[in-house]
Amino acid sequence: MLIDFKQISIVIPTYNEQKSIALLYISIKKALDTIGKKYEIIFVDDGSTDRTFDILEGFHKNDKALKIIKLRKNFGQTPAMSAGIDNARGDIIITMDADLQNDPEDIPKLIRKLDEGYDIVSGWRKDRKDKTITRKIPSKIANWLIGLMTGVRIHDYGCTLKAYRASVIKKMHLYSDMHRFLPALGAVIGAKITEIPVTHHPRMYGKSKYGISRTGKVLFDLLTIKLITQFSSQPLHMFGLIGVFALVIGTVFGIRSLQHYIFNIKEDFSIVFPSVSFLSFFLGFYLIGLGVLSELALKMSDFRISGLKPILTNNNGV
Amino acid sequence: MTVSSNKQVDISIVVTISEKVPDLEKIYQEFSQKIISMNKSCEFIFVYYLDYSGLWDTLQNLQSKYGNIKIIKLRSVLCESVALSVGFENAKGKHILTLPVYFQISPDDIGKILQPLETGYDLITAWRYPRYDSFLNRMESKLFNWIVRKLTDIDLHDLGCGVTAMTKEVADSLDIYGDLFRFIPILANRLGYRVGEVKVSHFKRIKKSGIYGIGIYIRRLLDILTIVFLVKFTKKPLRFLGLIGSILFGLGFIISMQLTIYKFLGKAIADRPLLILGVLLMVLGIQLISMGLIGELIIFTHAKKIKEYNIERILG
Repeated sequence: MLIDFKQISIVIPTYNEQKSIALLYISIKKALDTIGKKYEIIFVDDGSTDRTFDILEGFHKNDKALKIIKLRKNFGQTPAMSAGIDNARGDIIITMDADLQNDPEDIPKLIRKLDEGYDIVSGWRKDRKDKTITRKIPSKIANWLIGLMTGVRIHDYGCTLKAYRASVIKKMHLYSDMHRFLPALGAVIGAKITEIPVTHHPRMYGKSKYGISRTGKVLFDLLTIKLITQFSSQPLHMFGLIGVFALVIGTVFGIRSLQHYIFNIKEDFSIVFPSVSFLSFFLGFYLIGLGVLSELALKMSDFRISGLKPILTNNNGV
Repeated sequence: MTVSSNKQVDISIVVTISEKVPDLEKIYQEFSQKIISMNKSCEFIFVYYLDYSGLWDTLQNLQSKYGNIKIIKLRSVLCESVALSVGFENAKGKHILTLPVYFQISPDDIGKILQPLETGYDLITAWRYPRYDSFLNRMESKLFNWIVRKLTDIDLHDLGCGVTAMTKEVADSLDIYGDLFRFIPILANRLGYRVGEVKVSHFKRIKKSGIYGIGIYIRRLLDILTIVFLVKFTKKPLRFLGLIGSILFGLGFIISMQLTIYKFLGKAIADRPLLILGVLLMVLGIQLISMGLIGELIIFTHAKKIKEYNIERILG
């Protein structure tokens, strides 16, 4: 028997999906009806310029369980998703793509997994139906990097099909492109995370609308995630470590400069050593100063993390 | 005329007074007559932060004579943005029109600006075309608007006009401070509102200032930097600072490596300014990246207050 929950919310960010939306709606309903619990389907219309909203409005007339959130313009996947999550009433929240590549049939599986005591169940598109070179390989590298940086090693950060306990996801604040890092952010607040393989269908209509756009952005985001997941309780440690390292370099070069000065050595290094030493000292103090500032920024905000270590169980059913 | 404070007002006209005005009554009369002739009710909100003798009396006289006027005096010398925000807060109208104290546009054009709000637009800004200003001022304004247009990808031609019509909802969701009042249309566009501009004929200004001090130009440049940062990178400071930092660090690294190789080849490097440049660039790069990280940390810890979407309506 399933855990004690009252309502499931499905959140689907939608942008110009007039062709697939009807089929998606019907198959989600079919999948949810088999569970036999109360549910709501939330479509977030992310500023579509085609007939997506009209089609959804048509369904809404006959379906009390359907909720449509129309955004003022195209804000992007993360904002659209958080609009849905903020307005979801269920105690289980499932996010998925609107392009029919995710299969609603997997929803009961995800819920059963949550039932085993997890807070976040991530879908893993084990058998991905995308072009190998342009999508699979960059995504493999990205997943590996995110896992390496955050310590939360799951195979498929990019899969939108994920199930969350509402109490957990509502504690995480989504902004920018952060939805991609949700499991890692979940780990910061001590959520129990796992993944299960899900079906992945080839794209039927149109082109991919959301995706990792530029690698540069993702790399900088990774650095942010590293700071947030590993150091957000003590940012001084991160800046301080680099700062102390710079001070050590400064000291070493300083000692060498002093030697040159005392023994009156006049060679090339007599100028190189002091310059490097001064600048390293400068950088070291600067970084430690910044570290103190970051502690202050953290203290002044009401942000607190639970202090629990993330528990990652890799149970992928293989 | 009676005070109609409880009645629904169609248009609130917010006038900020930042300089000495020759004839407030004329402005009031011409614009309110125009609006009444359009079968709309209006209220005037005068917000002033520059006090000069006679202003208070003039406004009081206007108020007792016509009634539909609110006077707000700010306590100290504050900026235009604060004055506008206070004006918006006190506005009751369905639509809000901001108006400079001097005649920028003819009252006859007011209909042109307000009309699109009835047909789905959320904010309309006036584009003075053709402009009657000195050649230099026109060029400055053109350049300023062009740079902002290119950097923000929002097609607006006259941010300096100060005549803007918007719905109450837009005015309420704007968060302006400092010099951001100039960029109200861009900020509204960011929030997902439908923004447009309407060409109006420019009312010739009698007294005009020709050349501004150098300080003004520096401030305009900083304004541009602010708006670009706000539009593109607010939520991701590291993408901005990190990119610049990485480039500088990379450059410094290459220079230092090159000098190291020279050293191993037995050449003297200490007398080369390039050495200092290389190391300094690396230091600067690390500094910028760390500043970006601090920014990210501040954003993350305040993420609860960040709402990046704007809902038009919810069904269900």
